[in-house]
Amino acid sequence: MKWLLAFLLASLAIPALAEDLVSGLSQDRIQITSNYHGTDMVVFGAIELGESHGAQAAERDVVVVVRGPAANIAVRRKARVVGVWLNRDSIRLYGMPGYYYVASNRPLAAIARAATLARYQLGILTLKPKGESTRLPRKGEPFRLAAIRIREHRGLYAEAPGRVEFLSAELFRVHVPIPASAPRGEYNVNVYLVRDGTVVSAQTTPLFVDQVGLERQLFNFAHDRPLGYGLATAIMAILTGWASSFLFRRQG
Amino acid sequence: MRPVDEPLYWHAANQSLAHDGGMEIYLPIAGLSVHWLAVLGMGASVGFLAGMFGVGGGFLLTPLLIFYGIPAEVAVATTASHLTASSMAGAVAHWRRRVIDFRMAGVMLAGGVGGSALGVQLVALLRRVGQADLVVSVGYVLLLGSIGTLMLNESLRALRLAKTDARPVAMERHHWIHALPVKMRFYTSRLYVSAIPALALGAVVGILSSVLGVGGGFILVPAMIYLLRMPPNVVVGTSLVQIVTITATTTVFQSISNYTVDAMLALFLVLGGVVGAQYGVRVAARMQGEILRLMFAILILAVGARLFYGLVITPREIYAITAGTP
Repeated sequence: MKWLLAFLLASLAIPALAEDLVSGLSQDRIQITSNYHGTDMVVFGAIELGESHGAQAAERDVVVVVRGPAANIAVRRKARVVGVWLNRDSIRLYGMPGYYYVASNRPLAAIARAATLARYQLGILTLKPKGESTRLPRKGEPFRLAAIRIREHRGLYAEAPGRVEFLSAELFRVHVPIPASAPRGEYNVNVYLVRDGTVVSAQTTPLFVDQVGLERQLFNFAHDRPLGYGLATAIMAILTGWASSFLFRRQG
Repeated sequence: MRPVDEPLYWHAANQSLAHDGGMEIYLPIAGLSVHWLAVLGMGASVGFLAGMFGVGGGFLLTPLLIFYGIPAEVAVATTASHLTASSMAGAVAHWRRRVIDFRMAGVMLAGGVGGSALGVQLVALLRRVGQADLVVSVGYVLLLGSIGTLMLNESLRALRLAKTDARPVAMERHHWIHALPVKMRFYTSRLYVSAIPALALGAVVGILSSVLGVGGGFILVPAMIYLLRMPPNVVVGTSLVQIVTITATTTVFQSISNYTVDAMLALFLVLGGVVGAQYGVRVAARMQGEILRLMFAILILAVGARLFYGLVITPREIYAITAGTP
């Protein structure tokens, strides 16, 4: 595995080479077939230790963040009104990532201080929308936390402490799960090198996630040509009903 | 007499389990993976009940899909296709016997197109304000509660009357219908009446079809008999034609305005439904009508009660998110 990674790294020839960090992806384009349980991607990389860093090898940490395309979401809260639960308050969160995965070689809290983690948005609870439909942070906060909780439950937001594996002092690797429900679009893979609680190097690699298969084609059909889609569905139902009466009459 | 076969989907299940191929299907519009047998089975069991009780079954299928986890708007919009198919099968049978008043069905469809268009816009509005689920659930609780109670009463009375061999007395006539303008001649029904009640009836059914995902047969049939005074032998065939056309229209309207029709889900429901319905009809032929109606009333009330329970229990998660909003 080690020689394979080294070979891949050598063959990648990425110009965006950070000072002492280089990373790559197993693929820069992922195609998810909707009816399976998603797929897996590998982010790998190497740290240049250099002569002077030899003694500090144990102090370096690697954090890998995969972010999906940002989109607006509406968050609604139910309340009981005359005995019935219904949606009452709602706010909009503008520009929340559709997918977020953060992996590190040890728990994030041990890697850097909370302020640093918040600045780089490392950790699902640090995720903030670009804007909210409310000006009152006190009002918006429970909605933001609820949105994160729901997306975590659906496997769209996840933290994976300890999932960055060091294959040697220099080489690291992490498996990133991409669930079937991950939104399509432009993703960014950010790799951060942290020394003594400070981010010393970062590298961003784009990734494109696309959904393929019959289901995706149906979805596109429904949204691009709704009239044709509706007519096709209605005709399918009429023909099936007609065919069934014909078939069963012959049988019975 | 021919023995009643077990439902067809059972054989299909065993085959597929042996191969263990792709069991999960992804519903592109509902946005979730389901077991294909589960949706085929739901279509088949509702089709079976529908065939057995002689109804479309939309008011059973929509709640069932919601219980299974399909978003309410998608359940409502997609059930229409199931109704199109099962009503089509019935309509063909009546057409062979030439007991369909196409002119009456056409007038009702004209009203129905307007009602359906209105209902679809209502759904769009409800979705924008996040109250579509609530309105569907409350609508169903009221609908199932009232129909179930009426049917329960009626079937219990019929059971008592059956013992004493008495017949219910005829109801009084509604002459006000004949005072309305825009009279039309309906040859198959041998009627000369105003088109207004038929238009209005079509519109009501159109709204119900788009907002709640029901065919409206439970309103159409009694209204055609007691309000329009159509001969009973043309009522069922004509109402089936009306349900086919209005649910097909609603499917197209929902696709255009709300993007809530899931063709993949529709396909499985339709296939299960048409097969299930055939077996339902055969079982019903051997059961006593009053007992059948009593069972049906209890089923309707049970579904209504379950929906009501869903409205009043404290939900596990009181927040919900909708992605892709403006």
